[in-house]
Amino acid sequence: MDGKKILIVDDEPDVAAYLAAFLKDNGFVVRTAADGRMGMEQVRAERPDLITLDINMPEESGVRMYRHLQEDSDLKDIPVFIVTGISSNFKGFIETRRQVSPPVGYFEKPIDRVQLLAKAKEVLMK
Amino acid sequence: MSPKILDPLLKRELFNMLPFGVVAIDREMRLVTANPYFEKRFGAWHGKRCHEVFKGLPEPCSNCQARLTFADGIPRISDETGLDRQGLNCYFIVHVAPLRGESGNVEYVVEMITDVTETRLRQREYNLLFERVPCFITVIDSQYKILRANERFRQTFGESTGKSCFQAYKNRSEPCQDCPAEQTFSDGLERVVTQTGIAKDGSETDYVVTTAPLRRGSGEVMHVIEISADITQVKRLEREMLEAERLAAVGQTVAGLAHTIKNLLMGLEGGMYMLDSGLRKGDAERLAEGWEVLQRNFEKTVVLVKDFLSFSKGRAPDLKLVNPNRLAREVVELYNDAAARQGVKLTVEAGPMVKRALLDRDGLEACLTNLVSNAIDAAMTRDDSGAQVIVRTREEGEALIFEVEDNGCGMDWEVRQKVFTTFFTTKSDRGTGLGLLTTRKIVQEHGGSMEVDSDPGTGSRFRIRLPRPRLKMVAEQIAREAKKSPSDIK
Repeated sequence: MDGKKILIVDDEPDVAAYLAAFLKDNGFVVRTAADGRMGMEQVRAERPDLITLDINMPEESGVRMYRHLQEDSDLKDIPVFIVTGISSNFKGFIETRRQVSPPVGYFEKPIDRVQLLAKAKEVLMK
Repeated sequence: MSPKILDPLLKRELFNMLPFGVVAIDREMRLVTANPYFEKRFGAWHGKRCHEVFKGLPEPCSNCQARLTFADGIPRISDETGLDRQGLNCYFIVHVAPLRGESGNVEYVVEMITDVTETRLRQREYNLLFERVPCFITVIDSQYKILRANERFRQTFGESTGKSCFQAYKNRSEPCQDCPAEQTFSDGLERVVTQTGIAKDGSETDYVVTTAPLRRGSGEVMHVIEISADITQVKRLEREMLEAERLAAVGQTVAGLAHTIKNLLMGLEGGMYMLDSGLRKGDAERLAEGWEVLQRNFEKTVVLVKDFLSFSKGRAPDLKLVNPNRLAREVVELYNDAAARQGVKLTVEAGPMVKRALLDRDGLEACLTNLVSNAIDAAMTRDDSGAQVIVRTREEGEALIFEVEDNGCGMDWEVRQKVFTTFFTTKSDRGTGLGLLTTRKIVQEHGGSMEVDSDPGTGSRFRIRLPRPRLKMVAEQIAREAKKSPSDIK
């Protein structure tokens, strides 16, 4: 996994710091962004291999950022994990949108970090 | 024409000119003469008998008045129902008078027939309307005694004729305060007011009553007619809607609370992870960071719990008559220094016509405080020195309006959708996102609503709209709840 780059998009600085510390400890290169707009800038500049995306954020929400990613043919293949405090029926919602393909991972806060790590490894091995 | 000629002429012609029927009958009940009006109304009569022409009956009527007059020579009046020349039912009043011959015997009887069909039909329609209209109708005299009550009234409030109005409607032993009927009796003008009565089964009945004067010409009002529309169902629906709005606010709050708690938990877990991994690695910097994260999330939890307690506290507003303009000025005074320090100009534009209102003073103060402090935060985001916040009050239609306007950063559509719906905050370092929710909850408890206009870059305008009729309803509901469970309310 060494050198694989993960972008964490979350407006809660402590959540972002937690995920960053944990993923760094597991050998990833980590970038963070506090909302969807900054997230898109980072995606274009840094070309991450994986994105973890919060849904409820000020400025630009995770839903909008996800759609922007899907609409860009250059970016739509970057795998996205949704990491959110919104209840599980949101999972059903985003997975049934016809306009966008479902995210590859879905984690509800507070996350199970072992599972998140396992899923990240699985996705990045492909 | 001289009166000498006129007199016999009139006597001769009158028979033909009368606007009612006149016939003479003999002892055999045969018509011997009839005037043109009669013939027009009842058709051919020559050689026929009275009961044949009037009623199409082969035999004399059992209660024949003419026979009695033939026998005793005394005039009579009777109410009759018959058939006209088209065979339609008609109603008439018959004056029966004896015509004596030279011997002094009654030789003929004259019947004078006044047609009252139109009047009767109209009376019947009126009666039907009075009884069956889906309203309560009572006619009362100046002593509030009920002279007449319609069917709907009797069904709901019981037999009431002879009772007084306040007794029948409300089970009171004395006239109501601000009795609209009393006012109508004194000045002859109609009144419309909303009242709550007590039905015969003991249930509360809400109605809108119109009191209308009944008088002859321009004389004094003899009677007042009270016409009431039953609005119990409407009131019930309105109360349920108020309750539903309150519950909806609670539901949204709980959903938002869950989200906030999840973030806090994740923050705490993050802190623990950093402490744990920091200890393992002997990484002092990470230890310090983890400790900080733990502290920060602990603080946030404390603030959240406090806010939430204040949010969930006191369901029923404590209503007092409050001067909205004074309240607005007091809140602005409270924030004057803070605003000035941040370079924000804070002013009040108090509406000149704003009347006092029944409000929970502390609750509304919390709302305005919250909106003003938000507005100052927003106005501070301006780069130039023109930052300002204006607090306005005004009456708009039947509603009291508080408005807080800033010329700060404004909000885009997405943010505007969320400001009232969850524990939403754009101030992620401070604030729990409960402020506007609490504000909206208090406003909803007053039966009011919140509105927001905003554009990115030009500022925001938050408005508290308090419809006065709903304020009154809330007050009534609180009074009712207090009556039902005095122990629940301190």
